[in-house]
Amino acid sequence: MVRHRHACIVLLLAGLDLSACGGEPGDAALTERPGGSGPVVGTVRGEPRTFNHLLAGENESVLVSRLTQAGLVRINRTTDEVEPWLAEGWTSAADGMTHTLTLRSGVTFADGEPFTSADVLFTFEALYDEAVGSVLADSLRFDGLPIAVEAPDEQTVVVHFPVPYSPGVRVLDSLPMLPRHKLEPALRDGTLREAWGVTTRPSELTGMGPFVLESYVPGQRLVFTRNPAYWRHDDAGVQLPYLDRITLEIVGDQSAEILRLQTGEVDFISGNVRAEDFVAVSRAVSDGTVQLHNLGVDVNADFLFFNLRPEAMEDDPRRAWLQHRDWRLAVSHAVDRTAFANTVYLGLAQPVYGPITPGNQTWFYPDLPAFDHDLEQANVLLTGLGLTDRDGDGVREDPSGVPVRFALLTQQGNSSRERAAQVLQADLAQLGIGVDVVPIEFGALIERVTSMNFDAAYFGFLASDTDPAGNLDFWLSSGSFHFWNPNQPTPATEWEARIDQLASQQLRVADMDRRLELFDEIQTIVAENQPLLHFAARRLSVATSGRMANVEPSVMRPHILWNADTLAVTGPE
Amino acid sequence: MTPFVLFLVRRLLFALLLVLVVSTGSMWLAHLAPGDYTTQLRGPGVSADTLARERERLGLDRPLSEQYGDWLVGLTRFDLGTSFRYSRPVTELVGERAANTAVLAGVALLIATGVGLPLGVIAGSSASGVVVSMIRGVSVFGMSLPPLVTSLLFALFAARTGWFPIGGMTSLRAVDPSLPARLVDIGWHLVLPALALALPVAATLERLLARSLRETLTEPFIMAALARGIPRRRVVWRHALRVAVRPVAGIYGVIVGSLLSGSFAVEIVTSWPGLGRLMFEALRSRDVQLVAGCAAIGSVFLAFGNLLSDLGLVAADPRLREE
Repeated sequence: MVRHRHACIVLLLAGLDLSACGGEPGDAALTERPGGSGPVVGTVRGEPRTFNHLLAGENESVLVSRLTQAGLVRINRTTDEVEPWLAEGWTSAADGMTHTLTLRSGVTFADGEPFTSADVLFTFEALYDEAVGSVLADSLRFDGLPIAVEAPDEQTVVVHFPVPYSPGVRVLDSLPMLPRHKLEPALRDGTLREAWGVTTRPSELTGMGPFVLESYVPGQRLVFTRNPAYWRHDDAGVQLPYLDRITLEIVGDQSAEILRLQTGEVDFISGNVRAEDFVAVSRAVSDGTVQLHNLGVDVNADFLFFNLRPEAMEDDPRRAWLQHRDWRLAVSHAVDRTAFANTVYLGLAQPVYGPITPGNQTWFYPDLPAFDHDLEQANVLLTGLGLTDRDGDGVREDPSGVPVRFALLTQQGNSSRERAAQVLQADLAQLGIGVDVVPIEFGALIERVTSMNFDAAYFGFLASDTDPAGNLDFWLSSGSFHFWNPNQPTPATEWEARIDQLASQQLRVADMDRRLELFDEIQTIVAENQPLLHFAARRLSVATSGRMANVEPSVMRPHILWNADTLAVTGPE
Repeated sequence: MTPFVLFLVRRLLFALLLVLVVSTGSMWLAHLAPGDYTTQLRGPGVSADTLARERERLGLDRPLSEQYGDWLVGLTRFDLGTSFRYSRPVTELVGERAANTAVLAGVALLIATGVGLPLGVIAGSSASGVVVSMIRGVSVFGMSLPPLVTSLLFALFAARTGWFPIGGMTSLRAVDPSLPARLVDIGWHLVLPALALALPVAATLERLLARSLRETLTEPFIMAALARGIPRRRVVWRHALRVAVRPVAGIYGVIVGSLLSGSFAVEIVTSWPGLGRLMFEALRSRDVQLVAGCAAIGSVFLAFGNLLSDLGLVAADPRLREE
């Protein structure tokens, strides 16, 4: 298995242990020269809640931010490497806590105001301001402490992490730089939350992204035009972006999105192509009207998990077996992952055995222990737990006569999750295990799971970064996204304590190979204990119209617009 | 005070009560559903403290009775609160979308009335035959098709033929056209969603009117008119129809109200930016003030529809004016 390594090359400079990163992503290397720069039309599923990314993390607001704003660094979604963006380079101290970034010179906001280190300081101040209450602030706090920032001069910024943090400046990808000249009065008088709402006139907004918002018609569309002051050029010196205009039509239903793509009304859709839409899209591909881009395996995979909080099932007679490791191994053995992939994802998926899928090329560990389909072994494990069919009704009972039965919550309206729950129900019925599938609305599902009011649940979440350090809430026993038993004051099990220790250790290690080793061990522990049971990860495809060029889709979201500045068109509208 | 004014006052009071009950019910039900607006903000890296602060900022940490009390006080000033999701006054949001829904509902109603009533007259006044059987068959089919299915079928039709846009309210690629061009563009986009909404309504109107007209045509006063030699066409259209239309007028208001309240299925499939879609999104995100606001405006439309219905009945039957 080939693993990509970070872009950062560790340099040992005479006596100074510094790692340096830099380069010229300002010069975009393109696979194809654009034949035209005309407008393109895409879709989004919902409406932005705000034009201030500090306040909302949902897809649409993030997308507006990606198009109109820029950060100091960017994670290249196709290479998974962090690359210089508004900062043209940086040096990192050996302690992994201090990074000195040099800002690109001559960069201005869309309104012509120059970008300086004062804007960076202002952005961090707004980020951590209590009155602003930014949703990004928590992910940029370490051990509860903020990043300290100083600006020795207009072009230099020094960021001090409060603790060693091996991914370093990678974490800054999510933070767009805000214009101090526009927003400082609002921050000072405590009205920054209201400053860039969706009713703000587009002319009031400014950023350093490739586009500027021209108009927003609620319920209908967002229109972006090219930012004439955008700082990036291609390798031939042509100023980016290539496209004059991007229109994002708000279409609440994926079937309607696909129809629009087929008829050429739009050039791309917001998400990936669902398995059930594949045939229709393939027809359009053979007509030449649509291009299908295969992205490989998704970095996110849905999973089954049981409630492992002892107190949550204190009075439940099923606790003895429902929270037992052998139970989870038996369930894992009961499922034929290949058949699961074929049924749930109509063949467009790959069996997986852990949370990190082959889609995450940097961190995927291919040698995990795999509990493959083995009904005999499952039967042995269940019998070992004392679960046998005592009354001959086809359903097992435990020694006290309680039927082996549990409720499985899943997300209503999500076709693949509903299908998966049905497949699990059928597979476990073969072993005499009763499953009551309960599809419920997503908000209610999250509420039930976070309040630990469930037996088992099947769903998934979108990782915010491929680097596991960006999702520590999931791995650490104290994390709020440690689904099976979140927010533990102290680790409930030895293996969780070991994961905590390894996760903490890998944050303090600068050497990437050592980080990978540590994280391989974490993955192995998770796979051995199966607190989450993964069965299959989708193979992702995105579709665009035949006229779009330079599409470099990524498995991370947004699939297409992450590199909006180099997108182009080659044909007429 | 004349009986008519009394009637209007009574209706107005009923409308106020309806708005209060429906919006209150929606708000309490939305509160009772598991989770709240901050549920969807949960994610990796979002701490419990941040969520607690957000709940406090939105007032969701206060007792429900207190939140409801504040909302009621606001309601007396026609202030429906602020949407959690959009950070905008609910009245503004609802106003924008209600106008779009009214356009869609108005056109759908025109189509349904223009198609359903004449077909009802033809089916109700003619002897059984191929035409009547065809009208009845199509109507039964139309009544059995929910707007969700019709809108999906029409979307497929639009995709296959390219004759109509698949969805939206205005053309994507038309940037700032002139007003007449814009109106034509909206009209072009209206055809399919309006038809999807209108078809079941037209079928219902046709069935109701045909049955009522058939019964009316057996009344002695109709027999007498025909016996006096008044042409049948005139008897049907001038005398029988006026009586037969009463049950239609009775239900017309409910239809107006329900169309104006927004059909979220049609609005979602056809991406029509109306009230139904707004309420659906508000429900999904537990934006309780917006849910209550959408329900309030929906009930206003319903009350308006009922009033129209009563006025229609009065117009159709002079005896009711005395009552």
